[in-house]
Amino acid sequence: MQIEYQTQRLSLRFFMLMLVLFLIQVAYGLLLATQQIDPTVLAGVMNFNIVRAEHLNLGILWILCGFIGAILFVGPLLSKREMASPWLIKLLFYALIVIVVWNFFTLRLAQVGVAGWWEGQPWLQQGLEYLEPGRIAGVLVLVGFAILAYVVLRTFPPLRQWNEIHWGLGMGVTALMAVWVFGLFYVSRLDLQEYFRWFVVHYWVEGVWEVIHISLVGFLLVLMFKADIKSVGFAVFWGVALVWLSGLIGNAHHYFWIGTPAFWQFWGSLFSALEPLPLVFCFWHIYLDAHTNRRPLENAPAFYFLLGSAVLELIGAGILGFSMTFALTNVWSHGTWVTPGHAHLALFGTFGMLGIAAAYYAVPIMRKAPNYDQRLGKLGFWLVLTSMLGMVFAFDLGGTVQIYVYRILGLHWFGGDVFPAMSVFKLMLPLFGIVFAVGAGILAYDLFTLGRRLRAPAGADPRAATHGDLAVPRPAVGWGRPLSGFEAGIWLMMMWVFGAIITLGLLSFNLPRVRVDGDPTLPYLLAGVGYPGLLLVTLAFVWRFLASMEARTSASMTETDVRGSAVGAPASVQA
Amino acid sequence: MSCGIGGSSCETPRRRGAFVVLAILTLIFVALSIFSFLKSRGQVTPDTVSFGAYKADDGKRVFQAYNCMGCHTMVGNGAYLGPDLTKEYKRVGPAWLAAFLPSAGSWPMDAAVRAQLLDPIQQADTGTDSIEAYLKKFPGAAVRIERRGGGTTMMPNLPLSKDEIGKLIAYLKYTSAMNTEGWPPKVEVAGLDHRLQLAHGTETTARSAPAAASPMPAKAALDPVARGAQLVKDNGCVACHATDEKRLVGPGWGGLYNSKVSLADGSTVTADDAYLRESIRQPNAKIVAGYPAGVMPAFNNKLLTDDDVSAIVAYIHTLEKQ
Repeated sequence: MQIEYQTQRLSLRFFMLMLVLFLIQVAYGLLLATQQIDPTVLAGVMNFNIVRAEHLNLGILWILCGFIGAILFVGPLLSKREMASPWLIKLLFYALIVIVVWNFFTLRLAQVGVAGWWEGQPWLQQGLEYLEPGRIAGVLVLVGFAILAYVVLRTFPPLRQWNEIHWGLGMGVTALMAVWVFGLFYVSRLDLQEYFRWFVVHYWVEGVWEVIHISLVGFLLVLMFKADIKSVGFAVFWGVALVWLSGLIGNAHHYFWIGTPAFWQFWGSLFSALEPLPLVFCFWHIYLDAHTNRRPLENAPAFYFLLGSAVLELIGAGILGFSMTFALTNVWSHGTWVTPGHAHLALFGTFGMLGIAAAYYAVPIMRKAPNYDQRLGKLGFWLVLTSMLGMVFAFDLGGTVQIYVYRILGLHWFGGDVFPAMSVFKLMLPLFGIVFAVGAGILAYDLFTLGRRLRAPAGADPRAATHGDLAVPRPAVGWGRPLSGFEAGIWLMMMWVFGAIITLGLLSFNLPRVRVDGDPTLPYLLAGVGYPGLLLVTLAFVWRFLASMEARTSASMTETDVRGSAVGAPASVQA
Repeated sequence: MSCGIGGSSCETPRRRGAFVVLAILTLIFVALSIFSFLKSRGQVTPDTVSFGAYKADDGKRVFQAYNCMGCHTMVGNGAYLGPDLTKEYKRVGPAWLAAFLPSAGSWPMDAAVRAQLLDPIQQADTGTDSIEAYLKKFPGAAVRIERRGGGTTMMPNLPLSKDEIGKLIAYLKYTSAMNTEGWPPKVEVAGLDHRLQLAHGTETTARSAPAAASPMPAKAALDPVARGAQLVKDNGCVACHATDEKRLVGPGWGGLYNSKVSLADGSTVTADDAYLRESIRQPNAKIVAGYPAGVMPAFNNKLLTDDDVSAIVAYIHTLEKQ
């Protein structure tokens, strides 16, 4: 495949910027993990809250960068014409860099308590989680979203010709802008402020990003597997419909304890329990689309990350989210380390991995390197996947200990009782973080230099460079045998069994035995089985899925080899 | 899947149904939202809460300006480095907060809280000027002073002014008064010692901070310098003043005695006995250039006798520049 429209090339700069921001964000994350262990590190120079504001802010910006890159790459393909107003897209790129630099300087002002109050609004920074930048940056971002929406809608064909993917992306980029407006006002009441803050945070993730995610995953599957666009369109429509049907009132799970009435506990528990439905649906579609035809995997890293995105969405957003979505479990998980476990897996897993997948799909095409060396990409995938699962393990078990010492026993924080109790898990965080940073570094290096590195010497087997050691084709048995729908269902069920154990673990904090007598055995046991179980099953499933895909590659390669050698043609032609 | 591939004929009604359901759900959500913020809900609002002349809304602006949510949680939202602040006012009271916030890097001792109780705003807000009554009213403060007083908190000292501290207390008073539907859950395990034992095993008891309770050597009572050293420790002075020339919250003491000090009004004084005495008794009479006024409480003769002040001055005399 090659570039059909010149404006697709505009996506390259966004993918590169995405990787730079990603690396900076990982560096901030490592610093945060260090400060969790010793809060005096860089105290007075870069206090924890400044580092965290940057970590969250870049977390949003690099993911958006990946979205924009992916949208720009598929936009012309979906519209069968060049992107409208390329100059606006270039402007958007520089505006993004300006916002990143601006935020770097303004977020630091929290250290001296300067928010830039003028006309009742904080113009420089506003100290609200996820919405840290002040009005100036907020308005700039709004303009950026308007540009994106304008460019996408102008590029798309007339409304009558839209299919579900057009609708998904079109509504996605419009809603991205619309929802942002709720974060642009200072609210004096704390309950009302939190109510509107979750409008932005929850509806962005649940109502907008997931819609863009589903649409992009759908179209990437069409591109990678030549999947039927009608059947993908069906999946996109019902995926989006389920996301909105469950997520609209599902937002109520943020309104349990912020000062809003208790009836939200009923609505939130009911509807957000349905939120995993679209994720299971999306997960199942990945399986179907990848397995309906038997084409070999041409671009392994792109599919690795696409699969990672759908699976971690199910695990991180779906199952871990489900476990803490009921008022009776949320009362314990709320405000503890249990929540960042869910947040890290859901955000990086779902949206971050999609951006990387899109980059791995698009960059080789733009750099004219279809036979690029895929080993680094695969290595990077396994490193970031396992280390992210490891971090989630540390967060969630650390959080379980925290619930017990802080909420059940009501003991003190620093230098006191909670901190030492969590120390083992606090130490694990930077350890996994370093592995993650290595993986992120490998991915960034690979994508920066892809197509520019020394090519394999002429005469060498191109497949050896492409897929690693394929001299001995792997037999399609054991972990490599084709994955049947029944087996995929069993894996899915195992994930949910562990998810149920985790949920029961959080629920068990309500038992008088734990709450009154202070015996933590049951919640510790359930968490100790549930979290590692879920994370290991996830790892094993991804391994199994990819092994079956890889075996398919080598199986068909061997087949071609036989034919290829018979007619004396290079085997790589078929790829 | 049956309808999706074939054509949209049997699909469209079902899709239309999805939109109808979505519209109904939107109406439910809007209705619930309106009910949440009606007057009949009886939720406290920031315009009704103040601490002295400080308004809760102004405190919220200070809270946001320092991005407190970047380390702490508020109604459970925010970062998980420090403790949740929602019910902090109810737990420890305004005097403990006022003693803690200027020098957040260390835990206040009871002398610092006692000094705050001389403030008429504090007396009006807590209804008492005695530390015993205060600690009875806010047992959380008593436990903290006993267990942590004088230790380090791991929180950085923030450049908070006296007004900002008052505003923050007003904001925390507001959040404490909010009905958060029972969150954070009440601790139901009985007895602090029992709970500590559950967390740490058998050894630890509530009185675990040895620094706070170290007995004064008998001989020291006679030597004013040693007594001064003990007094600055007991009164928590070193939470704000370094014993070298470094700036913590207030000016460092190293080499201060008999040096020239430039004041905020542009004049210069010599830091002699009289100046140091006055700075302890009435800290706001002469403010050192570059430091905010009103942060240090006045230590009157209820808190420190004239002999105590002399001992502290004698101790400061011995400290040299490093």
